[in-house]
Amino acid sequence: MQGSLIDTLARQGVTRRAFLKYCATLASMMALPPAAGRAMAEAMAAAKRPSVIWLPFQECTGCTESITRSHSPTLEGMIFDMISLDYQETLMAAAGHQAEEALRHAMKENAGKYLLIVDGSIPLGQDGAYSCIGGRSNVDLLKEAAQGAAAVIAVGTCASFGGIPKANPNPTGAVSVSDLVQDKPVVNIPGCPPIPVVMTGVLAHYLTFGSLPELDDKKRPKSFFGETIHDRCYRRPFYDQGKFARTFDDEGARQGWCLFELGCKGPVTHNACATVKWNGGTSWPVESGHGCLGCSEPDFWDGGGFYKALSVPADPLKFVAASSVVGAGVGAAVGFANRASKNAARSAHETTTLADLEK
Amino acid sequence: MARDSIPLHVVPPGEPGLSGNAPPLLRELLERVRRLLDDGESSAIDLSALPLTPADLAWLRDKLGTGEIAVTLHAHGESTLNETGCPGIWWVTHRNEQGAVMSQFIEAAFVPELVKAHPRDVLTGQEYLESMISGC
Ligand code: SF4
Ligand code: SF4
Repeated sequence: MQGSLIDTLARQGVTRRAFLKYCATLASMMALPPAAGRAMAEAMAAAKRPSVIWLPFQECTGCTESITRSHSPTLEGMIFDMISLDYQETLMAAAGHQAEEALRHAMKENAGKYLLIVDGSIPLGQDGAYSCIGGRSNVDLLKEAAQGAAAVIAVGTCASFGGIPKANPNPTGAVSVSDLVQDKPVVNIPGCPPIPVVMTGVLAHYLTFGSLPELDDKKRPKSFFGETIHDRCYRRPFYDQGKFARTFDDEGARQGWCLFELGCKGPVTHNACATVKWNGGTSWPVESGHGCLGCSEPDFWDGGGFYKALSVPADPLKFVAASSVVGAGVGAAVGFANRASKNAARSAHETTTLADLEK
Repeated sequence: MARDSIPLHVVPPGEPGLSGNAPPLLRELLERVRRLLDDGESSAIDLSALPLTPADLAWLRDKLGTGEIAVTLHAHGESTLNETGCPGIWWVTHRNEQGAVMSQFIEAAFVPELVKAHPRDVLTGQEYLESMISGC
């Protein structure tokens, strides 16, 4: 890049004040003190762009869509000016051997320094044959690329925890990035899809402080995943008052009451939807009248049904336990919550039928 | 039983949504105004980082009042930087293009930093003026 980031942005019609404003907001979302916004702006404006290699594995490209199309012109897109994106199959012009050459070149040139972004899970079944790029399996590629990386960022629930490919019965033997990469720092940015600003926040933190942000026990940035959806949900007062919608079109639903009984997984889901919202702050699932699916937690797909009320106390650490509880002894708890014990799940991975939706 | 095992805190309906978190902020602001006067140090409080309800924010705005200056910034959505009834204290709201509030601060400053023109931008302005004059 010629000149500083500010100059590049100016050429794209992003003014200095717009950039400062964006950094102030970013710092606020990352729970950094207000002065950090200015520090971030200065550091990012002057920063040398780190080389970034982005490998897509067993995925649906929804994560890339979420991050690259987040705002009409370029606020989250600015992040692509902060980095030197040296390999990204979906976005790059090169294809075939040229693309593979670009990958090899970037890995060699920036050995030990590049950031590796991964979206998608990695299938281990059939020696990894389920997903290959240029004739090489994902697991091979990941191991090679991780070796020279300064850090690995797993974008989306598939890369973070295995996601939908890993859903029971996991036909391809899908695993997460951190299942395979143990000797490098790994950051998980789960979500199906992930919230774009989390990605920007992690990169901005790296550019400003030269380090990765503080992570929780599932390797997620604490500043965005520190609280549950339920902690910050605007329907929370109704939960506390015991006012619940019982179907999607009853009086409670119309009054905007809590969606707990309709299966909301907010109490056990760590993510920033309730504060950051989606589509440029337009709305978010609960505001649109649908419960949280728990998409940023491991094994959310096998949690016993999106429309089944949680059967355990609102303790975030119990999520995985919850799904196995459903599997083991579905009795009273789930049955009570759904008021239709005959329909109680027989296993943790039953098919969701129309009857479940209607309850 | 499902919901019984989840602690329910019954909130009596009809309470105004004041949490009691706003009044201590006035003391905090006093301290910041002192620092501004003594050392010229400006600072900001991030309102989204605090557990404030919409009613708390309204209470605070009402207490601080409205000052003489209101600045509107058009940069990827509208921002307002408004002086409150206490000179040196500014209420800053950043919105995105969709009009949603992205972040909100109370700043203690003689002039909020964002209002000042950056020397580099002034330089660009100077070059523009020069080019206009030479084109005349
Ligand atoms: S259960 Fe869901 S809808 Fe109800 S308060 Fe919690 S997050 Fe909001
Ligand atoms: S509300 Fe829940 S399911 Fe929906 S995107 Fe957010 S974390 Fe995922």
